[in-house]
This record gives sequence, structure tokens and C-alpha cells, in this order.
Amino acid sequence: MRVGLFVTCLVDLMRPRIGFAALKLLRAAGADVVVPRAQTCCGQPGYNAGDNAGARNLALKLAREFADCDYVVTPSGSCAGMIRVHYPALFREDAHAGDIGRLAEKTCELTDFLARVARLERVPGDFTGTLAYHDSCSGLRELGVKTQPRALLARMPGVRLIEMAESETCCGFGGTFSVKFGDIATRMADNKCQNIKASGADAVAAGDLGCLLHIEGRLRRLGDTQTRVLHVAEVLAGATEN
Amino acid sequence: MQVASGRFKQRAHDGLENPVLRNALLKSQGKFVVTRQQAFDELGNLGELRAAAAAVRDHTLERLDTYLTRFETEVRKAGGEVLWAQTAEDVQRLLHDICARHGVRLAVKSKSMVTEECEVNQALETAGIEVVETDLGEYILQLANEPPSHIVAPVVHKTKEEVAALFERHHGRPRLHDIPALCREAREVLRPKFLAADLGISGANFIIAETGTALIVTNEGNGRLATTLPRVHVAITGIEKVVPTLEDAALLLRLLTRSATGQPITNYVSLLTGPKRASDPDGPEHFYVILVDNGRSKLLGGELQPILRCIRCGACMNHCPVYQNVGGHAYGWVYPGPMGAVLTPSFVGLENARDLPDASTLCGACAAVCPVNIPLPDMLRQLRVQRMEKRLRPWTERAALKLWSWLAARPHIYGIATALAARLLHCFGGKTGLLHRLPFASGWTDGRDLPAPQGHTFRELYKQERQT
Amino acid sequence: MNARDAIFARIRQTLQTTDASAMETHLARHARGPLPTLSADLVTRFRECATRLESTVAGPLTAAEVPAAIARYLDEQKLPRRVVSWPGMASFDWKSAGVEIETRPARGDDLIGVTGVFCGIAETGTLMLLSGAQTPPTVSLLPETHIALLPVARIVAHMEDGFDLLRKEHGSVPRAINFVSGPSRTADIEQTVTLGAHGPYRVLIILTTG
Repeated sequence: MRVGLFVTCLVDLMRPRIGFAALKLLRAAGADVVVPRAQTCCGQPGYNAGDNAGARNLALKLAREFADCDYVVTPSGSCAGMIRVHYPALFREDAHAGDIGRLAEKTCELTDFLARVARLERVPGDFTGTLAYHDSCSGLRELGVKTQPRALLARMPGVRLIEMAESETCCGFGGTFSVKFGDIATRMADNKCQNIKASGADAVAAGDLGCLLHIEGRLRRLGDTQTRVLHVAEVLAGATEN
Repeated sequence: MQVASGRFKQRAHDGLENPVLRNALLKSQGKFVVTRQQAFDELGNLGELRAAAAAVRDHTLERLDTYLTRFETEVRKAGGEVLWAQTAEDVQRLLHDICARHGVRLAVKSKSMVTEECEVNQALETAGIEVVETDLGEYILQLANEPPSHIVAPVVHKTKEEVAALFERHHGRPRLHDIPALCREAREVLRPKFLAADLGISGANFIIAETGTALIVTNEGNGRLATTLPRVHVAITGIEKVVPTLEDAALLLRLLTRSATGQPITNYVSLLTGPKRASDPDGPEHFYVILVDNGRSKLLGGELQPILRCIRCGACMNHCPVYQNVGGHAYGWVYPGPMGAVLTPSFVGLENARDLPDASTLCGACAAVCPVNIPLPDMLRQLRVQRMEKRLRPWTERAALKLWSWLAARPHIYGIATALAARLLHCFGGKTGLLHRLPFASGWTDGRDLPAPQGHTFRELYKQERQT
Repeated sequence: MNARDAIFARIRQTLQTTDASAMETHLARHARGPLPTLSADLVTRFRECATRLESTVAGPLTAAEVPAAIARYLDEQKLPRRVVSWPGMASFDWKSAGVEIETRPARGDDLIGVTGVFCGIAETGTLMLLSGAQTPPTVSLLPETHIALLPVARIVAHMEDGFDLLRKEHGSVPRAINFVSGPSRTADIEQTVTLGAHGPYRVLIILTTG
């Protein structure tokens, strides 16, 4: 099973550790992993800003790079959602619709792939403590990622999963929304931070780095230096240390 | 209503800073979300219902001309009259004519968003006609001289203390302290108005082509009073509200009331067809339906057509985390929340509401609850595309996007640029690993730190790993 | 071009079809959407749902028992034994129950209105009333108390069944069909449900047999 890892631009730039964690998990699941060198961005920033032409370019580039993979896996619900749900919309009734459709079909969010496709039983991570899980919007509502990360975390004896209130409510990141409407985004992050705190968990985990940067950024600004903010891949792979 | 949608950012900020609003929204949201969920859990088959409802709406919109013609014929057969309005001004003119023809001096109104859209109250008042809102929420807003902030719960932003103060000032009665007493006082003040009114103005949640019927849902009974007691009844609604049959209306009702307030049915559902019949002892002598376009037909056949399925339940705003934090007034016109962010630019012009398509994180909570499966985030994205095509964003933003697309299409340069950025930001992060200020992204750092990058990009580290 | 023509011109520009046959087929079918399944016993369902919507449900009683039951209810509620009702109700023996009755449309200051119904809808515990010479809608609307007599045989499952019954028995729709589900209410102030907005404060439904 040849699996192409799409690292995502955000992980590449901000927290490569997540990319390596994903790599480790895919290998643990028995996949033959390739990481196409030329990969960059899935085009979501442009797409969400109304620049469909730019997004189409990057979609075609990505499709070429992963053409020979059986699966494309990415540690991000929003990038996976972009490829699975929005790429086909960009190429409806188009000469590339076939290629894009095949790409969309074989693309998975990381935990979805591990739990549902690869059926990873032995999770390598050794995290110990209580964990609240934030359901990132695209993964949850576009891809139905809800039970998959929880099922994987349940296979880790040291993890005690706590369901916080409003785990399905948006944290306020929303890509450029978080900068354009900083005050609204901050208020939404406040609500999220309150729910995290109220859960009493040692750490909060999610499947999207954008949400994590946003949540951690607000927690730290509010003076919380304790609560750890982790990508679910980091937890599952045991790659939570700096 | 004056369009203030161009100032979403400032108005949203005002909303965030208003603790009374915040409290009110927190309270109401909980109720709306929980009761809706309970109502649908009990009903079961939500997915099936939504698909059927969306199909009926699409079927009708795709044949809007034939259905509207049939509706008009049936209204006429029942002795009523259908009047057509392209614009808000048309609606006002038609109402003036009706009032003049029937010597109307006092009008009572049942809640209607289309009449807000068409500034009916102001227009009638200018013509010397007294207009009284009779839905409790709308009545409170009329006293306060404020626009609604929610399409189902118009006064969701006010506390009972604020209402009590308003009533004391306007009714000249002693200050009340509990909600039932406030409701009774409003009833006592408004009952004589119903009995004396010459004209009743209502909206219509649906109009039914088969029978020429206007369907109105209310809980308070004001809709029934306003359409039963006055000599003249005018129902004002959008051309997109037509549904084929009574059965189709029943299907949509099951979704509407549960989505709006979690009720299996509203207290009153009234189906009104024509004026009173020869042998009827009560009911209005004249029955008009004003059908309003005001930008709706422009949406037909285009990418935004699905928004015309909307049945105005308000579930999208009840579940929108942006709406729930900034409140309805931030959106600056009649329709707030996700459906408003789509409709407002379509009705008042994208250039007058250019920030509204961005007033969403595209989290998808709205689409997940929409009873007629409107893909609201896709609609917002579509407006962003239109805005891009019309160059309605600042050049800096367009340039930044272009630069990003250009870079991302060139992996080599992209690799160098991101490696540099990672290094630089990592250094700025220092020992704490947090960036407290970023010169070009103060929108972020005003409220949050930015966790600094690890220092090397994945592509650099992966290359190293492969080499060793 | 007048407003009507302009609107239709714009609509027709965008439409794929102007063929009316799909509409005629749809209108003729009266197809129902997905319906919730109800348990077989419609009376029980009606009673449960109406009670949940804060109606009071009494009976089943025979027609002869109705005036006395109404008198008892009025006493319990400390209401005067003076009602306004639909014309058809005059034939009950109100006198021996000690209830004063006037059969006419209601006025703004009437306290109690007694009506029949066209049918009851079990799915939601709803009354379906039609306007007409013998069934003035004001009686169920203006008084603070609405008392409705519902023959159990007239309880149908869904609103759609009510429409079918209407087509069968009347052929066409009256000026007003009113579905009534409990006392009027508002939740506009702080989303707190308060009974008795502009319509009745209380609704008593008396199920009748025979």
C-alpha cells in the first residue's frame, strides 16, 4: 500500500514534528510512505478568498505529485476536506474532473486513515494524562472525523479522554478570518479556552494545526502556560517533546 | 431599513463589547440549540425530511413562473388580489394605494421580515397612518426604535429589565418586574388596537399555489387577530415563498417550527384564502397579497439559487459561532447570521456589504442544521469569488494571495522562502517560543500570541533524514 | 413594462423550462413528504401531545355530559358561567348545567369561547378549525379561555389527513383554516415561555363520543 504523505504548508513551516509523527504512524500501520518533494500548499487560502484560478493551479499540481499513490494522507482535516470535497467542486464538468475525482477519493485525513483504512491497532505513543479533544470543523463536518481519533486514543493506556463542552464548536481560527476579524476570533477562542479549562484536562488535542496555534496562542496570552496543546498525531506517535 | 452592512467590522466589535448582549445571546443560544436537537431526535428521519424539503423547494424554484401564475389565478378565484412589487418602493406605493382606497387610518402588523426589508412602517407613517407592531418582540423594538437582531426572536438582545423600562416610559403604567406581567400589559395595550384597526399587515411563511393561500405561523395569536379583525388584510412576502400543495406546506412546516424554536408545531398555523365569504360572519372584506422581488429573481439560475430555498427558520444563526458572539445588529441590515451574510450582499449589492461574505469561519455549523440543505459556506465562498472578480478587496490582499499562489507553484523558491521565515520567526520567538507582536499580523497578535515555528521546515528536516 | 411583467420576464430568462406539465402532475398527486410513524392509538397520541402543548384534555364524554363538565371546569378555574359559542352549540342543555350561552362571533371582551372543531391532528395534538357561517373563528381567538369539543372519531393522524378530509367533505378551502395547538404563548422576552399572549390563556379540549 503506497501512501503519499501530504504534510501541509502549515506543518511544514510551523511544526514539522507533526509531519514526522504522521510518517511514523503511517509506517507503524504498515504503509509504504512516500513524501513527494515538490509538495507545497493545497490551495485552500486562495480558494477561501475567492481566488479559484489560483486554487485550481495548486490542485492540479498536487494531483500530479500524488498520481502514483494508492492513498494521500494528511494530518489536517481542513486540507483533506479541501481535496476530498472542494477540489471536485472546482473541476466540475472539466477535462481534469476524472483525475481530480480519483485524487479526492483516495485522500484521507490522518486519523480517519489510521482507524478506518489501515486499522492501526498498536498505537506507538506513550502520552500519559488527561486529554480533551477539539473537533476541528472541516474534519468533523466535511469528512465525518469524530470517532476515529477517539478510537485511536482509546488504544493508548495512559490517555484518559475527557469530553469537554462544545467540542464541536469552531475555535475561531478560520484561516484569514483569525487575522481579518481578530477580535471575533479571539472571543471564540476565549469560549474554547474556557471549555478546555473547565474540562480540567492536562492537554487539548486536535487534528488541525491552525486550530492548535489559535487555541495555544490565546491560552498563553491569557497566562496559561500549563495546558499543553498537541496535534493528535504527536500524541499518537509519542512525539510530544520539543 | 438603512443598509449598514459596510461597517460589519466596527459593528461586530461593538457587539463583542456589549456585555448585556453577550449574556442575552448565551442564554438564548442554549435554548435554541437544545430544543431544536430534542425536537428532531424525537421526530427521527431528519435526513429524509430535509432531502424531501429541499427537493420541493428546488422543484418550485425551477418552475417559479408557472407556480406564481397558478397562485395568482387561485387568489383571484377566491376573491383576492395579487399585487407585484419589484422594489421596496413598489411595496410602499402599493400600500399607499390600498390605504387610500379603503380609508385606512390604523394598521396592525404581524411580524414580517419582508416588511422590514421594504421599510413599510416608515412609509405608512409618512402617509399619516398609525402602524402598530403586534408581535411582542417587534412591538418592543418599535417602542425602542430599533431594528430586529434575529429573524425569529427579534428582541433576543434585550433583557426583561430593559423591556420593563420601555413599557413604563411608553405605557405610563407602574414599572413591572416579571415577564408574565409584561406580556399581559402588552396584551392589554394592543387588544384595542386590533379591534380598532382598519388594516392588518402580515407576512406569509409560505404561499400555496394549489389553493391561492397565504400560510402564517405564529405563537402569540397576533397573526390570527391581524388577519381576522381588520377590514383589509394585506399579506406581503417574497416571490420565492411559493410551494405547490397543502401537503408540501405540511412537510416544510414540520421542519420550520422545529428548526426555529424546537416546537413540533407553532401554536397557530393559519391558512388564509381570499376575503370573507358571503355567509362568513367575520374575516376581512378585502384580501391582497403583495409579492416582492427586490433582488430575488436575480438569484435564480445562478450559483446562489439555493439560498432561495430558505424558509427563514433562523437555525443557521442560532448555530453560528460568529453570530452568537457579535449579535444580529452587526450584520447591518434585515437578515443576520449566515443566511443574512448571503442574502444581504445579493439584495443590497456586494459593494455595500463587502465584508459580510467574510463574516464566517466557514465552520459549516450552519449548513449542518439548515432544514433545506442550503450549502451556506459554499454560498459565502461564491460571493468571495464574485468579490474577487469585481476587485472589491484591497490590492494588498489580492497581491498577498497572488504572491502565495505564485510561490506555492514554485517548490524550489517556496522551500527557500519558508525556510527563511521559519528561522526568522523562530528567533523572534526566543526562549518562550511565543511571538507577542507581529508587524503585519497585528490582527492576530492583538489578542493572541503566535507559537513560534520549530526553526526548520519539514522539507529541510526530511531531506536531512533521507541523507543520513 | 409593469412590475408583474418585469418580474416574470426576469424569471423566465433564467428558467430551463416553461412547460407547465410537471407542475400539473405535482399538483395532482398531492404527494406527502416523509411522515413520522405514530402508534395505532390516535386518541392516546392526541391526548399526550395536546397535554404537552399545555392544552387540558378531558373526556371522552357523551354530548349530554358536556354542559355540566364545562360548568365544573369554569367553577374550578373561577371563571363566570357565561360563554359565547358557535351557533351549532345552542342545542345542548346549557340551562340545567347553569351556563349562560350566546351564539355569535366573539367580541373583544368575551371571556370564554366554546367551539367545535373540523378535526383533531394526533401527530401534534392540534385542533383544525375552518371558518364559515356556523364556525366563526373569533370564538376560538378573542376570549381568554377556549373550550373545544372534539369527537374522538374526528381525530386523524397527520395534518395531511386533515387536508384530505377537507377535500372530501368540502371540496375547496374556506377563507381560514386555523390549526390551534394549545394556549397562545410568547417567548420573545429572554426566550422565557409565557402562556397567554394575544390569544387564549387556556385551552380545554373535551373529547366526545357518539
